[in-house]
Amino acid sequence: MFEAVAFYLFGALTIAMFLIVVSTKNILYSMSALAAGMIFISAFFFLLDAEFLGVVQIVVYTGAVMALYAFGMMFFDSTRDVKENIENPRAVFVLSGMIALLLVLMLGAPIVGANIEASQPTPENMGNAQAVGVVLFTKYLIPFEVAALMLLVAMIAGIILAGKKMDHSLTLMNEEDSNICDREYKKNKKEEQS
Amino acid sequence: MSAYIIETIIKVVVVMLVFSALAGFITYLERKVLAFMQRRLGPMYVGPYGLLQVLADGIKLFTKEDIVPSNANRPIFMIAPVISAATAFIAMAAIPFFPEFDLFGHTVRPIISDINVGLLFVLSVGAIGMYGPLLAGMSSGNKWSLLGAARATVQLLSFEVVSGLAILAPLMVIGSLSLIDINNYQHGGIFDWLVWTQPVAFLLFIIAGYAELNRTPFDLLEHEAEVVAGFATEYSGMRWGMFFIGEYANMITLAFLSALIFFGGFNDLWFIPGGIAILLKVMFFIFLFLWVRAAWPHIRPDQLMWLCWKVLMPIALVNILITGIVVMI
Amino acid sequence: MVNSKAKYVEVELEKYSLKPFDRFKRVMKRTFKGELFVGLGIVFREMVRFNIHTTQYPGEKLPISPRYRAIHELLRLLESGNERCIGCGLCEKICISKCIRMDTHLGEDGRKHISEYTINFGRCIFCGYCAEVCPELAIVHGPRYENSSEQRAHFGLKEDMLTPIDVFKKGAQKEYPGFGAPSPDADKRIKKTPLAY
Repeated sequence: MFEAVAFYLFGALTIAMFLIVVSTKNILYSMSALAAGMIFISAFFFLLDAEFLGVVQIVVYTGAVMALYAFGMMFFDSTRDVKENIENPRAVFVLSGMIALLLVLMLGAPIVGANIEASQPTPENMGNAQAVGVVLFTKYLIPFEVAALMLLVAMIAGIILAGKKMDHSLTLMNEEDSNICDREYKKNKKEEQS
Repeated sequence: MSAYIIETIIKVVVVMLVFSALAGFITYLERKVLAFMQRRLGPMYVGPYGLLQVLADGIKLFTKEDIVPSNANRPIFMIAPVISAATAFIAMAAIPFFPEFDLFGHTVRPIISDINVGLLFVLSVGAIGMYGPLLAGMSSGNKWSLLGAARATVQLLSFEVVSGLAILAPLMVIGSLSLIDINNYQHGGIFDWLVWTQPVAFLLFIIAGYAELNRTPFDLLEHEAEVVAGFATEYSGMRWGMFFIGEYANMITLAFLSALIFFGGFNDLWFIPGGIAILLKVMFFIFLFLWVRAAWPHIRPDQLMWLCWKVLMPIALVNILITGIVVMI
Repeated sequence: MVNSKAKYVEVELEKYSLKPFDRFKRVMKRTFKGELFVGLGIVFREMVRFNIHTTQYPGEKLPISPRYRAIHELLRLLESGNERCIGCGLCEKICISKCIRMDTHLGEDGRKHISEYTINFGRCIFCGYCAEVCPELAIVHGPRYENSSEQRAHFGLKEDMLTPIDVFKKGAQKEYPGFGAPSPDADKRIKKTPLAY
């Protein structure tokens, strides 16, 4: 009984939260609702006795949404509403609704037809974390490693993009060197003069 | 089933009451200890030796006017302190405070919910606690608050990596995420304590923990000399008090965690029974919080990031590598 | 006096190297040098010594200097117990914040009597000119600095400032040693005026 109550409660909460995410115009509401929704999703993992995944869901998405907040802080005024340029809101609404419905039908069709069985049943006498580990390092080893590699590539790319002049300190440079940094600014100025 | 539910509800109520009262009492202790370390007396007038100061502060906080600034984002502003206080108590759900004991012929396990991944749960809920300051800062409509919120982001992104990686090495040695298993692993007296085999992990964990609780030397979020009161600038009355309770409840949680993971938890120590042993350890860690606050300066946000990402994280990785090699051999 | 021979000595600072490894070494050195733990030790030592320097104010009060300028007092003549004030009005004139006000009348005994004497302590800046200018040492500054009250007019009326007669009869009127009062060695420094020859 408790499982059912908890499932419907968290289901309703999650849907409400993600509705707020897409429907609100305030950056603060939408991001807070996103974070809350992500945390509510972890409740389903707990209900399914997958505590490890539930906790990982919380850990990963707190950090991830926190980084989103950082961007939100830089790009938007959190006290005002964001002005959106949607020329035909009704068409967007209908189209996106249709696409979502289609996706649900396509993905849900096989489930309706068949009884669900775990393709990788949890081995006996094994905790949650161990089971995830075994699957991760046997069946899904290559996807796991490829994902790790992709993350590494992304990290290196990010560092290179952001860190071009990181080893120079503007305050410790002498006059001429610091001018190199705004070379482009000077170039633009010359073009304006000429 | 219903007996289990009633027991759980009683445990929840007891934990809530005891720890919110203790959180208040720690504010008194903090003021006293800081005062003694600075050759002052601290609160003296309310009650004997100022013991009732906590009560007076509580009455003051409860009866103060609840102000929401006109420029603030009202719902978020009101919800932020609740997040801060609630997560502090939710994190306690997975902590075994004492060894099992018998009460009226009924065995009581002093843990609200014994989930397999207790340690990860406590850490992750503690990290959610940072949403309190973040949302408070962003919704206040005040530049100091916004700076505090930005610092909260910086702090979370820095310490979470370190605390996670630092805790991995002892976990590899033990092979379980359950705090009870971690405790039972160290049952063989003082030389079984993990702090002897994993001193680096302990140091890293405690540093990251201080950053998580934003205690000195990492109290960037509300450092008066720099950002007025940081995220809490616009708060008053009980909403501000909730941040306070959250912070002190988190202190207790971290003290219990450190004692459980690295200092033998609630195992009997020589002649001292386990329940008292863990209380002594927790008291020491809470005293350490106050002691460090009295003695050390605080660092800049960029220094915190530098420290966490460039110094502590590599050390944690090396520690994991060495532990892995040792465990494999 | 400026000592012309004194020279500025430059403090020799260690040059900071900016190489990453050197910076890392610097952090390690600062972290493990023990200075942080020296700090911990000092505060712990102070706590154990319990050498408290707090004055618990309403219970204990620090002695104040005799020259301290707090709420004014009007004194009485030592022999007769009459008011010292002769109503000359000098204090009213000299007061730079114009907060002293006095009214006098001719009494039935043919002497000048003060019917009203008030100081507005909302405006008084406690400069001490009134005490200094008073020829009779009648208005002086007392040591009473706790001047919070429900009424603005408290302390400011003549009855509040004048030494009560019963206190005076006990001989408890304290002579004022501070601002404007004769110095302790005033008797020795008195010279005879030509009229006395």
